[in-house]
Amino acid sequence: MNATEQTNILQVDNLNVYYGTFQAVKDVSFNVMRGEIFGLLGPNGAGKTSSLSAVEGLLKQQSGTITVAGYDTLQKPLYARAAMGVQLQATSFQPELNVAEILRLYAGIYGVELGKEKLQSILKDINLAEAETKKFRELSGGQQQRVSLVIATIHDPKLVLLDEPTSGLDPQSRRQLWTRIEAIREKGYGVLLTTHSMEEAEAVCDRISIIDHGRIIATGTPQSLIDKHRDDPEVIAVSRRGRVTLEDVFIALTGEAVRG
Amino acid sequence: MEITIPKTSAVMTALLRADFTTLWRNRRSVVMVLLVPVIITYSWKGLVASAGGAFVLSNAITLGLVAVGLMGYTNSIARDREKGVFQRLRVSPVPSWAIMASRLIVQLTMILLLTLVVFIAGYKLDNISMSATGYVLTFLAAIIGGAVYLSLGQAIVGRISNPETVSSTTRLVYFSFIIVGMFGELGVLGEKFKHAVDWTPYGTVKNILATSLEPATWNNHTSEALLVTVGYTLVFATLGIKWFKWNTK
Repeated sequence: MNATEQTNILQVDNLNVYYGTFQAVKDVSFNVMRGEIFGLLGPNGAGKTSSLSAVEGLLKQQSGTITVAGYDTLQKPLYARAAMGVQLQATSFQPELNVAEILRLYAGIYGVELGKEKLQSILKDINLAEAETKKFRELSGGQQQRVSLVIATIHDPKLVLLDEPTSGLDPQSRRQLWTRIEAIREKGYGVLLTTHSMEEAEAVCDRISIIDHGRIIATGTPQSLIDKHRDDPEVIAVSRRGRVTLEDVFIALTGEAVRG
Repeated sequence: MEITIPKTSAVMTALLRADFTTLWRNRRSVVMVLLVPVIITYSWKGLVASAGGAFVLSNAITLGLVAVGLMGYTNSIARDREKGVFQRLRVSPVPSWAIMASRLIVQLTMILLLTLVVFIAGYKLDNISMSATGYVLTFLAAIIGGAVYLSLGQAIVGRISNPETVSSTTRLVYFSFIIVGMFGELGVLGEKFKHAVDWTPYGTVKNILATSLEPATWNNHTSEALLVTVGYTLVFATLGIKWFKWNTK
């Protein structure tokens, strides 16, 4: 194993995904390194979730390779999935189960011992000590996201995939979730997140890729992308308040038209 | 990077615990599924003397099996698929077969419970008692017969994605089985119809159950019914697996 393989938790090369005859992802390549938060940004229908679904194993790519912690997702799917933790866009658990039962289910699935003390310590850590017997649907949006995040990381995965994790949350819950995502990075995990929020990308991502019409059109740190495109006439035309932001660069690169 | 995948036994234990907890929380619908065969057993008390205890018990169990397969299993699969429960499980290191196996084991347990409840109801309400061999063989026949309706449910949930449409379709099929199966079986709809019903999933399952209760009455017709039952299961299961999608999008 060489140094690149050791630092790259996720390697995606020339990924192509189709829905019937429609190509949703076109020759997409990117990597996520250990201890890095990597953001995949794009308008609606740009190919973010399709790319993520291919990494998760929910969609099968027509061509290209995806390697998680050194395991090819097509050749060793169970090993690749054991190496990652996933928070889906719309997470749902059996509505009859309470929070403790859901945590026990996923701990069991990942082969993690979860005694009463450890369970209570986890719930206390996410400020849900009183919610042990509550049903998932009875929790607020922010509480649900915290439970989903703790399930995604219950087995100490090498890679954490977060699909629009702060969508629909109030500013307080969003800030709290950012802190938790940064704590995941501090543990040395790689994090791949998709988001619509440029504020979120600037606040937490170490590197980002902007994807549009299934293709990656820009990659770099948020600041490097701003610096690179600061003087583009399209960026200047869409910038407001005389200060170029990541959102201005994003709008200039992907267009102002509203997507479905 | 060394990654270990959890043992299948640990995964199955976790899935089964969750699925049995779900069943327990839905105990009201479980009672409803069990109640219909018990009511039939009681209301057909008058038929025991003329048609025999095996006739009453086999009809009651068959209707219970239809309810387990079509109402219980199919609707829970349709609902969990719609809600994304399966997608969440599929991004973890769980083989797809384990997710379905756990669901099916829960339903097989329901089938055994249903059969036991009908036996008890038959004994307590109608004074029907069979030989020990008859009871044991009927448990086995109930599993074989239940597989027909589970696989039929799988085919329905494979073909139809909307949970409400799945629910209305299974109700329609369930009531069709009650009307056509039960009344056809009794000869209410004519002799030709009665003969045709013999070879429907209702008729073949009812036949193998009735003969299992009285093993001495096993004949060629029962063997053919058993083969047809297995054939139905294979056809429905093949279609169900072929058509099934893990998500509705």
